[in-house]
Amino acid sequence: MKIADQSLQILIVDDNPLNLKLLETTLSKDGYKVLSAGNGPVAREMAVAEKPDLILLDIKMPGEDGFQVIRQLKKNLATTAIPVIFLTGVSDMDTKLQGFELGAVDYIIKPFHPREVLARVRLHLKLSIATNSLIASQANKLKQITEAQTSMLVTPEMYPRAQFGVYYSALNEAGGDFYEVRQISDDIFGYFVADFSGHDIKTSFLTVSIKALLQQNSAPVYQAHESMQMINDVLVEILPEGKYLTACYARLNRKTKQMTIVNAGHPPGIFVPSEGSATRIDMKGDILGIFKEVYFGSHTIDVNPGDRFYLYSDGLIESSEEKIVWSAGSNKLVAACEDAKSFPIQEAPKEIVRKLFNENVSIHDDIVLLGIEV
Amino acid sequence: MDFKVLGANLGLEESEFIELVELFVSTAKQDLQKLTTAYQSRDFEAVAESAHSLKGSSGNLGFMELSALSKKAEDKGKVNDLSGFAEIIDSMSQQIGKIKECLEQSI
Repeated sequence: MKIADQSLQILIVDDNPLNLKLLETTLSKDGYKVLSAGNGPVAREMAVAEKPDLILLDIKMPGEDGFQVIRQLKKNLATTAIPVIFLTGVSDMDTKLQGFELGAVDYIIKPFHPREVLARVRLHLKLSIATNSLIASQANKLKQITEAQTSMLVTPEMYPRAQFGVYYSALNEAGGDFYEVRQISDDIFGYFVADFSGHDIKTSFLTVSIKALLQQNSAPVYQAHESMQMINDVLVEILPEGKYLTACYARLNRKTKQMTIVNAGHPPGIFVPSEGSATRIDMKGDILGIFKEVYFGSHTIDVNPGDRFYLYSDGLIESSEEKIVWSAGSNKLVAACEDAKSFPIQEAPKEIVRKLFNENVSIHDDIVLLGIEV
Repeated sequence: MDFKVLGANLGLEESEFIELVELFVSTAKQDLQKLTTAYQSRDFEAVAESAHSLKGSSGNLGFMELSALSKKAEDKGKVNDLSGFAEIIDSMSQQIGKIKECLEQSI
């Protein structure tokens, strides 16, 4: 199965190999695909052939300079819509204005700080996505929803590099729990667990929309909480009155070794470091789909290979016949996650559920438990 | 000169930063060679240009002393004044040497 790759591609143009290398390292660490060109003519050829999402262009180059390159890019229909940010060692007004007049969207003064470059690149990619491709994305939406319906829930075999395991049990076909795993770029993955406020056919239909929304709003340019924010904005418009969902979204970058968890009124995720003891990641956060102005808790953790995370729905800790209350159930779950360390991640969720529920106890709610290994 | 700290300032791992410094040392030597030649032939424009390139690349990596010296050289080239220029080139060469030394210890 082909995995949809949402990597955004950036073309860097600079005659200085050191600048190229520095930008390349910085941008690829953040999940972008990077193309490099050492001069104007090569850059223009690459821009036509590869249609990058953004171009970082040095002004001062021998031969064809940056101004000439932008002029050519803007003349060519194939490249005219690509946003160009220019890099300049000169901060005089004439240079800046000339760049803007030729159609550049922004400039960065050298010597630049890589974090400034990242911030500006993100900003302009977002603007570009919002403006230039609005129509295309709307047209794609229907197609994506149809595609999503054929494969509602992903399996670990579909995304081996995502390194997850899942236990999923729905009371009826139209379950109110939902999980999703997305490959955002080579090293960045998104993991999502949600619980709707009711179980019926409509709910199941809504999960299809959520899947499409995740696909549209999880590109590398978006921070995890921004993705949730945008999904909330749409849900407020489309959810029937009284319907809402709680969710937890985790975005793992295996390159920078950082995991960001965003919580929208959902039970707290559990962090099981390979060395050390398991803890709950307690956070406040509003539910999704009711309020326009919302706050979502967001927490970033430095992680190491072997560390694990668990996201789950409240059915896991509230629904046994023993009428366990939330806090006691939660402590039991933390202990069970800790105990499952010796099981491979694909099997750990099943093992944890087996530990929490005696086999003869019937389950009164949907359950999803998603385990992730860094 | 702590490569770990300089790298962290740029959001890079030490190993990634060392790779950049390797590239930097080789291009800086070329730039300094160009600068020296330009100075000897009193080509002011070429002086300013090669000094400008060194200023940017050294500044980006956080080698501020070398960047400041390069700026001084660039400014002198722009106003066609090459007095005391041999000393500046000398100091620049020493700075590049220091960076190279530090690099060899880090590998």
